[in-house]
Amino acid sequence: MKQIMTVFRFTFLDAVRKKAFVISTIIICAVVLLLSLAPRVIGLFAGESTDSSAAEEVQEDRSATCYVINETPYLQGAADALTQAASETLFLEGSMDEMEEYQNMMKDDVDLSVILIEERDAKPFVTIYSKDFMSGVSSSSVMEVLDTVYTSEQLTARGMTQEEAMQALAPLSYEETMVGEMDISGYVLGIVITMVLFFAIYYYGYGVAMSVATEKASRVMETLVVSAKPSRILLGKALAMGALGFVQLAGILLFGGICYKVFVPADFLLNGVAISLDSFTVPVMLSVIAYFLLGYCLYAMMDAACGASVSKMEDVNSAMMPVMMLTIISFYLGYFSIIGTSENGALQTFALYFPFSSPFIVPSRLLQGAMEPSQVVISLIILAVSVVVVAIIGMRIYSASVYQYGKRQKVTQLFKMGKDVD
Amino acid sequence: MSLEVNQLCKSFGSRVAVDHLSFSMDQPGVFGLIGTNGAGKTTTIRMILGILRADQGDAKWNGKRITRETVKFGYMPEERGIYAKSKVLEQLIYFGMLRGMRRDEAKKSALSYMKRLNILEYQDMLAEKLSKGNQQKVQLISTLIHDPTLIFLDEPFSGLDPVNAESLRKLIGELTDEGKYIVMSSHQMSIVEEYCEELVILDRGKTLLSGNLREIKAGYGHTNLVVSAEEDLGVLADECGLKLVERHADESEYRITGDEMAQRFLSQMIADGIYPVKYEITEPSLHEIFLEKVGDQQ
Repeated sequence: MKQIMTVFRFTFLDAVRKKAFVISTIIICAVVLLLSLAPRVIGLFAGESTDSSAAEEVQEDRSATCYVINETPYLQGAADALTQAASETLFLEGSMDEMEEYQNMMKDDVDLSVILIEERDAKPFVTIYSKDFMSGVSSSSVMEVLDTVYTSEQLTARGMTQEEAMQALAPLSYEETMVGEMDISGYVLGIVITMVLFFAIYYYGYGVAMSVATEKASRVMETLVVSAKPSRILLGKALAMGALGFVQLAGILLFGGICYKVFVPADFLLNGVAISLDSFTVPVMLSVIAYFLLGYCLYAMMDAACGASVSKMEDVNSAMMPVMMLTIISFYLGYFSIIGTSENGALQTFALYFPFSSPFIVPSRLLQGAMEPSQVVISLIILAVSVVVVAIIGMRIYSASVYQYGKRQKVTQLFKMGKDVD
Repeated sequence: MSLEVNQLCKSFGSRVAVDHLSFSMDQPGVFGLIGTNGAGKTTTIRMILGILRADQGDAKWNGKRITRETVKFGYMPEERGIYAKSKVLEQLIYFGMLRGMRRDEAKKSALSYMKRLNILEYQDMLAEKLSKGNQQKVQLISTLIHDPTLIFLDEPFSGLDPVNAESLRKLIGELTDEGKYIVMSSHQMSIVEEYCEELVILDRGKTLLSGNLREIKAGYGHTNLVVSAEEDLGVLADECGLKLVERHADESEYRITGDEMAQRFLSQMIADGIYPVKYEITEPSLHEIFLEKVGDQQ
């Protein structure tokens, strides 16, 4: 234990003093600060646009044009109604005689469209022309306005006043109340935490591999292994890099939390959704920490074995390729099961318990409030047992690898050789 | 105290790395472990240190199996390795603490050795800034910092300039006087001859020769004659049947069949009016014995 702590202390302090660590921490904190300030900066610009004169300028400065050709007695004033409803498109009355010219212009102009209203079966029939499916006006928005105008006309024709018709057509007010624990903030934070955990586990695991490979390539390993058992060196090193990752991550999250409280307005909406950190309860936070540490240990042990299997630094990436692939596949398995399947889908259930993907999905599901305690316990037990198994295999391969120089050995060979080293 | 290596064997697949190697060291001094590249020296050292399991045989210190925990040993590997990006004193303290020392003990010991090896002023420098010779001294200190009794030095003199080599020579002498048991592996036979009373010569895992160096040499008898004279001795040596082994700037070394041949050559020189400045009948050098033994095998 004393030797593990000695390796831990040296590795941790050595890594903390490195320029790469200091610079990366400063850059990430700067990005967090900028993101926190973004709502206020956006708010400043939004405040300017509410000015009435500015609004008029925007009105005149509409970038897209749409000609409305109405060949029917219905939908009178459609162009004006559409202009009022849309902010970026100017709707003008068009003529059927110029239809051919409009169509020629549309071939080169993505901001031009034409709405042709004809009569079919004693009702207006609307055809919308634009260059391609990516260009022109939104057909659903246009039809929503035209439906309202047509219904209003029909109600007026049947004796209703304009005001009565408008009142009848006014949309109903509503609000949503969720009785379940899942909320949109938790969902967004869940995806963010999945990304953060993926990068943290990947980055710090890679750090372990690089550190081990550096010691081997520089032959320091030869001095170390006569002083301490390879397994103790590996444990000390992996724990130090894990602690380093935890400290950096916790520091950044703490800084992010402070920035959120200080700089993000309480009424800030992200795409109309209020973001709150209420789902970050203490049990959830502890679970996130547990999944980060166990997930990191799982991958770090494999990364260390990869790092020890090479004699030259330039071979590290190729040696790590299988673990990298496993990490990325597991991450996407977790990510897609969060966003793509039903709550109890087979893929999601598998991803929840598969030890390589559970660190990427369970914290997210916890933030969404979509995990039963029993599911978390089972997932954690599977992950912890896997860490022990992978650590035993990883340490054995590492122990054999540190004595091997020159041509890389196969994993199975190294595993067999591991029984001969102390 | 004694080191006993008994019938050590190790194979990697079909390749035999060490084949029934035995030797012992029962008093302080320097023991020579000699061999070509791939002879099995490093594997032997790793098995003795208990970090690599032997297929057969064992190595014992005072009758006990050697492990990192039971014996304070030091090992300086052939391939030097220190942390290039770490400060010298800091990493020496780390190596000392790994060997069970307290931080203050490790620091005191590191500073003491740095002073002995004249590198005290580099204690706060990054190791990569040091010359190769000074880096080697740091490596040596990391081997000795915890005051081991049993020390393994693999090619300790390689890469050292004459001044640094002299410092190391002095240190090895002091360590021997302090009662340390040193196993030294080297390709430089003159160094082995200088220090080692006992040795073993390995070739591809097999023991070609082992025992006391003086006795081994005595077994070969007087085989060499080193002569130095103002006149050229080449023709006369040919006439007397001497074979030239090596010609130096100021002397020549000849192979002789015995003392009688050397006496005959001396008589002839004097008869011809040639008076040698140097005339020395010697045993073969370790270098010659090594080449003969390994050459026979190959």
